[in-house]
Amino acid sequence: MSWTFPKLVSRSAPVILLVLTLAAAIAFAAVSHLVSRFTANQQARGRTLYAQGLADASAARYDDAIAAFRAALTCDPSNSQYQLSLARALRDSNDPRRLDEAESYLVALWQRSPQDAAVNLALARVAAHRGSIEDATRYYHNAMYGVWNSDPDSNRSKARIELIQFLLKKGAPDKAESELMALATALPPDPASHLQAAQLFAQAGDYAGTLSQDREVLRLDPANPTALAGAGEAAYRSGNYATAQRYLQAAVNANPEDADSRQLLATADLILRTNPFHSHISDAERNRRITTAFAQAGDRLTECAQQRGLSLTTPSPLSGLQSRWTATKPDLAHLRSPGETDLPDTIMDLVFQIEKQTADTCGLPQGIDLALLLISEKREAASQ
Amino acid sequence: MSHLASTNSSSAPLPQTPSTRFQAPRRLFSSLEGVFNDEVFFLILSVFIGMFSGLAVVCFRLAIDWMHLALLGPLPQTHSWRLFAVPSLTGLVVAVLVLRVFPGIRGSGVNQTKAALYIFNGFIPFRTAIGKFICAALAIGSGQSLGPEDPALQIGASIASALGRQLQISREKLRLMAPVGAAAGLAAAFNAPISAVLFVIEEVIGRWSAGILGSVVLSAVSSVVIVRWFLGSEPLFRIPVTTFKRPTELIAYAFLGIVGGLASVAFAKSIGYLRPRLKALPRWTQYFQPALAGLLVGLIAFLGAPQVMGAGYDSMDQAMHGQYAWKVLAILAVLKILATTLSFVSGTPGGMFAPTLFIGAMLGGAVGDLERIFFPHLTGSTGTYVLVGMGVLFAGFLRVPMTSVFMVLEVSGNYEIIVPVIVANTFSYLISRSLQPVPIFDLLTRQDGLILPSLEEDREETILRVEDAMLPVPATILNAQDYVDANASRIQDSPDSTFLVRMHPSGWNIVSRDQLQRLFQEGKGELTLSSVLSAQSLPSLYPDLPLDSALRYVNDYPLVPVVNRANSRQLEGVISRDSVFKKYGSGRAIEVPSPT
Repeated sequence: MSWTFPKLVSRSAPVILLVLTLAAAIAFAAVSHLVSRFTANQQARGRTLYAQGLADASAARYDDAIAAFRAALTCDPSNSQYQLSLARALRDSNDPRRLDEAESYLVALWQRSPQDAAVNLALARVAAHRGSIEDATRYYHNAMYGVWNSDPDSNRSKARIELIQFLLKKGAPDKAESELMALATALPPDPASHLQAAQLFAQAGDYAGTLSQDREVLRLDPANPTALAGAGEAAYRSGNYATAQRYLQAAVNANPEDADSRQLLATADLILRTNPFHSHISDAERNRRITTAFAQAGDRLTECAQQRGLSLTTPSPLSGLQSRWTATKPDLAHLRSPGETDLPDTIMDLVFQIEKQTADTCGLPQGIDLALLLISEKREAASQ
Repeated sequence: MSHLASTNSSSAPLPQTPSTRFQAPRRLFSSLEGVFNDEVFFLILSVFIGMFSGLAVVCFRLAIDWMHLALLGPLPQTHSWRLFAVPSLTGLVVAVLVLRVFPGIRGSGVNQTKAALYIFNGFIPFRTAIGKFICAALAIGSGQSLGPEDPALQIGASIASALGRQLQISREKLRLMAPVGAAAGLAAAFNAPISAVLFVIEEVIGRWSAGILGSVVLSAVSSVVIVRWFLGSEPLFRIPVTTFKRPTELIAYAFLGIVGGLASVAFAKSIGYLRPRLKALPRWTQYFQPALAGLLVGLIAFLGAPQVMGAGYDSMDQAMHGQYAWKVLAILAVLKILATTLSFVSGTPGGMFAPTLFIGAMLGGAVGDLERIFFPHLTGSTGTYVLVGMGVLFAGFLRVPMTSVFMVLEVSGNYEIIVPVIVANTFSYLISRSLQPVPIFDLLTRQDGLILPSLEEDREETILRVEDAMLPVPATILNAQDYVDANASRIQDSPDSTFLVRMHPSGWNIVSRDQLQRLFQEGKGELTLSSVLSAQSLPSLYPDLPLDSALRYVNDYPLVPVVNRANSRQLEGVISRDSVFKKYGSGRAIEVPSPT
């Protein structure tokens, strides 16, 4: 049995080509119809599978989500959203072998639309998973300056915050700080955003920035206990104890349960009460503080030696300081003499050296010793 | 009609009759007819073949996808009963269709297309296309370990053949229609026109033929355009970053070539061994062979390797992105060889392209990952080894070395890996050729009782050339500008009976001793030789031409000059009938002294 076509066309070449063109057009239309129907069915099936994948991904069932997204992609292979979701699931599944596949999906999407902020953010997260500061920074920046489908300002801030957190985690505070500066200038008037920025500044060790952001929070929400505590701590860490005392006092008043602030407040109080270099005290008060600090340093020296079982008579750093302390003790009597202008500094230098050495030998002190140690650090920082 | 036209012209304007209304289009058609000579028409026809083949392949791919979704579902789960029930039950249906309704559609279709070209004058029944479409879609969609490319090739060839027959084109052209359609079908299925063209030349046509190249390329490109129009231009795989940094790493790729060559041999030998034995079983068993193959393939999938089902492009994609450990990759390669062998030898219609790529991909990934365990400094990614592995199996199993190289380049779009691909493919090809002298497609045709030409045989064949049968330059060469009597005196001492004459300003002629003496006796001794010889020049040959080309002249002329290509007046030697036949008879080259 052999099948043949009926003889439809004459042998004339133009007629043949015309008939072939018509036949091709009809076949084209028929296949178009078939493909569009098939595609519509497939897309509907793909949407169902995609929804299933999203549910699995949000429940952290990444293997199931990956399978569902893959199946969705077999139904609609060129769907960017499915590819992006699959790439995210592959990335978040914490399987390093899957990062390559995630990246290849994302790179393909990126090549199609390099300005897509969501794709850039996903690529940045892949680079962050790999620990590559350079790639992650580039893609995070692309995400910040890319096109967002919704809420661009908020998404850009979030992307920058994520970058800052990544940089801080990777031990690159300088780069994080420059990103923080940029972040601070573009923050919306929202206490939560400023509060988060303040925390990031604090993590980067930029207490001036922290204080500035917390002040901004307090401008918007004057009774915010977190901002009060944050501002107090920032002022405390930057050696601005009077300001710290004010904020910490307000923080403790606002939240009496805040033990950290209470402890910092106590230390700040002590510092303010102990510091002989405070500008608004009388000479008599300064001398009294020097005398108290000197006595405290002597006690601390003895306690530390006992704690470590060291003898202050045998040669050691502590015994050297003990000798100097003993030799200096008679000079306290000359504090009131008008010609001894360098004596307060000489005595306090010895006090600070004793506090530092004992801190190195016996650990961080408490109370007045801690206050003296912090005063010494502040003076050292100021002199540098 | 002419009468009607003259009547109209001599009278007042009349309303147009249907005849007059169609005069302009007819004149247009008449003038167009002159434009279309045979060659132009065949080229345009090739574009239409490409379009129709492309449309058919689009439908074919949709049918496979639809079958897969309908039969196995979008998310085939391991340990699901469907995995072995579907391919085995579908296998029964396919067997009935193949044995009862569409005989002759077993296997891949490459050999049938080649047989159509060389044996059946380009005739491929159109029912073959229909049968191949339905049965291959059922088989591949149900999970048999076969690919859609070879069936698409045969569908394209079948459409082209049917079109050629319908248009009643010459037998010579009809014979060429099959490869033109084959290239279109394969290009559409593979989304790779260059590889398709090369494969058709290497495997279907079996020899380089410039005459058909234009048509093959046109049809392949037009079919790919159609497929991309409907199904998008997404590549078969998402290509990862591929790297090749250090030349020393070629050793690693060479090792992959060796492993791939051995795997190719194992694959080819298992098919070559099992296929005739299963065919020799009683006919009633053939109804159950595809079902049994489907059951076993399904069982492999059920037990934990569903990747072996169908063409497996998704799994190749995942392998390319390092989703499997080397042990898994190696196991998948072995299981795919087993599954494809079972599916193919059972007579289930379907192709071996995709399974070959699958096995190569898995093997490449496994070897690459394993090598990196022992040599951590290797920089090639898993994806690079997977890609190279694909080419390796193509070269070793299908024995198409050129296609294998271009296929990898075309699929990856990356020329950086061309050197590793060439090195690995060469090793694979050489090992396969030495351990399995007959290529798989030739083996299959021989098992079917056919002997078809192949490019591999062609490559190995020693071609006899004109220079092999060439005799030395004769001692006496006459000059057409000299007088007849001068030439007659020059030949007196010569033992030859026939002499070459150098014509002026160019060309050669021939004169016999008798002819020259007769002219002298007729009193034409004072005429120049050129004035008495016929104006028609003697044909000349070049030393590098195939000796076959001399055959058309040696019967008509006792001597044929062999001249230099750069200077046609410089004689390199001569050819005579005796020297040609002697060469064909002896098979040995004749020593030809240097023309100097």
